[in-house]
Amino acid sequence: MTQTNRATTQTIALWLALLIATTLVLLVARAELDKAHVALAYLLIVLGSSSAGGRILGLSIAGGAFLAFNYLFLPPYYTLVIANPIDWLVLVAFLITSIVAAQLLYRANVTADTATRRAEEVDRLATLGAETLSAPDATAALVAMAVVIRDALGTDSCELFRLDTDGKLVHAAAASRIADVTFQRTPIPANGLASWLAGRAEVAVELPDGTTRLDPSSTESLLVRALYRTLRVRSQPVGVLRVAARDGLMLSADRARLLDALAYYAAVGVERVRLVATAERAEAEREVEALRSALLMAVSHDLRTPLTTIKGLAQEIARGGSSATRAAIIEQEADRLDALVGDLLELSRIQAGAVRAAADVNTADELIGAALQRAHGPLGTHPVVVSLSDDLLAARFDFSQTLRIVVNLLENAAKYSTATSSIEVAATRDGGRLLITVADEGPGVPVGEEERIFEPFYRPAGTPPDVRGTGLGLSIARGLAMAQGGTLKYGARTGGGALFTLALPAVDIPVE
Amino acid sequence: MPAEPQPPTGTLTVLVIDDEPQIRRLVSNALTADALLGADGARVEVRVLEAATGSQGIDAAAAELPSLIILDLGLPDRPGLEVCREIRRWSLAPILVLSARHQDTEKASLLDAGADDYMTKPFSTVEFLARVRVRLRHARSMTTAPSANAVVRFGDITVDVQLRRVERDDTLVHLTPTEFALLRALVQHPRQTMTHRQLFGAVWGNAEGDAQQYLRVYVGHLRRKIEGDPVRPRFIQTEPGVGYRFEPDGVVPV
Repeated sequence: MTQTNRATTQTIALWLALLIATTLVLLVARAELDKAHVALAYLLIVLGSSSAGGRILGLSIAGGAFLAFNYLFLPPYYTLVIANPIDWLVLVAFLITSIVAAQLLYRANVTADTATRRAEEVDRLATLGAETLSAPDATAALVAMAVVIRDALGTDSCELFRLDTDGKLVHAAAASRIADVTFQRTPIPANGLASWLAGRAEVAVELPDGTTRLDPSSTESLLVRALYRTLRVRSQPVGVLRVAARDGLMLSADRARLLDALAYYAAVGVERVRLVATAERAEAEREVEALRSALLMAVSHDLRTPLTTIKGLAQEIARGGSSATRAAIIEQEADRLDALVGDLLELSRIQAGAVRAAADVNTADELIGAALQRAHGPLGTHPVVVSLSDDLLAARFDFSQTLRIVVNLLENAAKYSTATSSIEVAATRDGGRLLITVADEGPGVPVGEEERIFEPFYRPAGTPPDVRGTGLGLSIARGLAMAQGGTLKYGARTGGGALFTLALPAVDIPVE
Repeated sequence: MPAEPQPPTGTLTVLVIDDEPQIRRLVSNALTADALLGADGARVEVRVLEAATGSQGIDAAAAELPSLIILDLGLPDRPGLEVCREIRRWSLAPILVLSARHQDTEKASLLDAGADDYMTKPFSTVEFLARVRVRLRHARSMTTAPSANAVVRFGDITVDVQLRRVERDDTLVHLTPTEFALLRALVQHPRQTMTHRQLFGAVWGNAEGDAQQYLRVYVGHLRRKIEGDPVRPRFIQTEPGVGYRFEPDGVVPV
C-alpha cells in the first residue's frame, strides 16, 4: 500500500509542476496567443494527468487549469471576473471537456485493469488445471494445487483436508511459504475447527484476536488470520480448505471470487484423492484375495495328493494285496501330511499375530547344537562346518521358535545343494546383534527372486521335482524371526550358493 | 543296576484317558500286543482301562491305582494339564501325555505339573512302546533309594560332589560356584529331564534373582569347559524349550 502512495505523490507533484511550468510559458507568450491555444495546452495536461494519476488527479488538475485560465488569460487579467460573454463559453467548454476526458480515460483504465486481472485469474486457473493434470498422482496434484492457491491468494500457507470414509477429516496436502514447522501443519485445535466445519458451515474465519466467526456475511475487507472453506462436489462436502497469513489476510471481492473458483478445483482434487484411495483399497483387496485363493489351491493340492495315495493303498490292501511295502508308503505319506498340517498351523498362527515369543537369554552354542541335532535326518551326508567365536555369544530370543528357524534354514540348505557339499553355520556378534548364518554350495536364488523365496509355496524356477517339502519353511522362518524382533535375510554366498543371515538382539554376558 | 522288585502281581494295569475311541483302541492294541513290558523280559499280563473324559480318568486312577497313565491333553470336559496335576497330587504312577499341539513350552509346563513324558500326535507305536518301557523301568528304579554317589565319572571327567572338585584326566577344571551347582544338580539326576524351573530351584533355591535369566549362559560356559565340542555335547543334552538332561554314558554326537 505504501508503495502506491509514494508513486501517487510523485505523480501529483510532477503534474502540478508541469501545470505551473506550462502556465508560466503561456504567460510569457500571452500576447501572441489565442484563448484556444491556452485551452488546448491545458487540456493536454489534464488528459496526461488523468491517464497517469487517475480520475481524482485529472479532475484536480482540470480545476487548477480552470482557475489559472480564468485568472491569467481571460481579460480582465488577474481577476476571476470575465468581461466577454464569449470567454465564458470558452471556459465552460474547457471545463466540461476536461471532466469528460478525465472520466473516459478513467473508465478505460479500469476496464484495462480488470481485463489484466481476469487474464491473471484465467492464467492461475489454467496453471491449476495443468498442475493437476500433469501431477504423477492424485496426492501430488493436490500439493501442486495447494501451492497454486497459496500463490494466487498471496497467503503464507494453504492446507487441504479430506473427509475420509468414516467422516473423519484428514490432512491431505499443504503448501507453506514459511519454514517454521509449527506453521506448516495446522495445529490440532485449528484442525479441530476444520473438522467441525466440514459440511456444517461454508466459511469460517479466524480473526487476529484468536476468535472465530462462522459464515461471516462478507469476507470482503475483513482482516483475518485464517480462512476455512468447505469443499463440495455435487453439493456433498468432501473436505476443507484452509488459507492462513501470519500478518493477516484481506480478501477483495476479486480475490474472493478467485477463491471460489480455486476451491472448486481443490474440491475436485480432494475427491480424486478419495476415489484413488478407494480404488487402491479395492485393488489391494483383490490381490489379497488372489493370493489367498492361490494358497488354498496349493494347500488343497498338497493335502489331497498324499491322501489319494493313502486311500488307494488302503483299497489295495483291502483287496488282499501284500501290505508291508504299502504300509510303509502309507506311513511316509502320513508323515508328509503331518509336516504340512504342522507348517500350515504355524504359518497361520504367525500371520494371525498369535505367535508370542517367550524371549530368554540363550546362547548361540546351544541354538546351533540343538538345530544340528533336530535337522540330523535331513542333513544326511552333508558335512556341516560350524564356526563359533572364542567368546560365548548370547542373545534374547524364544529358543523353540528360533530353533525352528535355524532347522528350517539347515533343511533348506540340505535340500537345495548336492548331497556331499558342505554347509557352513556360523555365529558372530555385530554390534547389538547376534548373527547366525547358514550357507550352502547350491545354486543360490535367481537375481530378483531374493524376496519371493519368503512367500508361501514359492519354489525357484528349475527346482528339481524330487525336492520335497511343504514350501512353507522360509515363510515360517521369516515370520518367526520377525516375532523375535529379529530379521532374516537372503544374500548370495561368495563363491556361489545361498547365504541366510538371521539377526537377533544380542545380550552382553555378565562376568560372574 | 540293582535288583528290581517284581510288580506285586503278574498283571500290569494301564489307564488310557482319551476322548477319541480310535486312539484308545490304537494304544490299547499296542500295549497288549507287546509281551515284554515286565522287568528283565518277564512276561506280564497287561490290563488296559479306558476313560473318555478327564473326570472318568481321575475316578479310574483313584479306584484302580494303575501302574501307568496315558493322558490325552485335548479332553472335552477339563484341561489335560489340570487332570495331570490332580492325579499327581496323590499318585506316583508315571504319566505319559499325548498332545496334538507341538509346543515345547507346553511340554515344560506339563513336566512341571508332574507328567513324566510327552509325545505329540501323530506318533509311531514303536516309539510309544519304547517310552512306556523307559517310564516303567524308571518308576521301578525310583522305588529304590536314589544313589547319591559322592564321585561321579563320565567320559574323562570326574566330579567329586563333596569336595566340589572337577577334574579332566587328573587336571583340575576350574568351575565358578554357579557352574558347579548346575553340574551337581544335573549329575545327581542322570537320564532325567530337569526343567528350567527345577534347575533354578536346585541352583538358586527359591530366591528370585537376576542371575536366573542367565541359566542358559551358565550351561554354555559349563559345556565349553567339560564337553569336547560345545555344539555337539555328549553329556549335557538340551531338551529344547524344556530343560536339560544329563547322560552319564554320553550320547554319540550327530
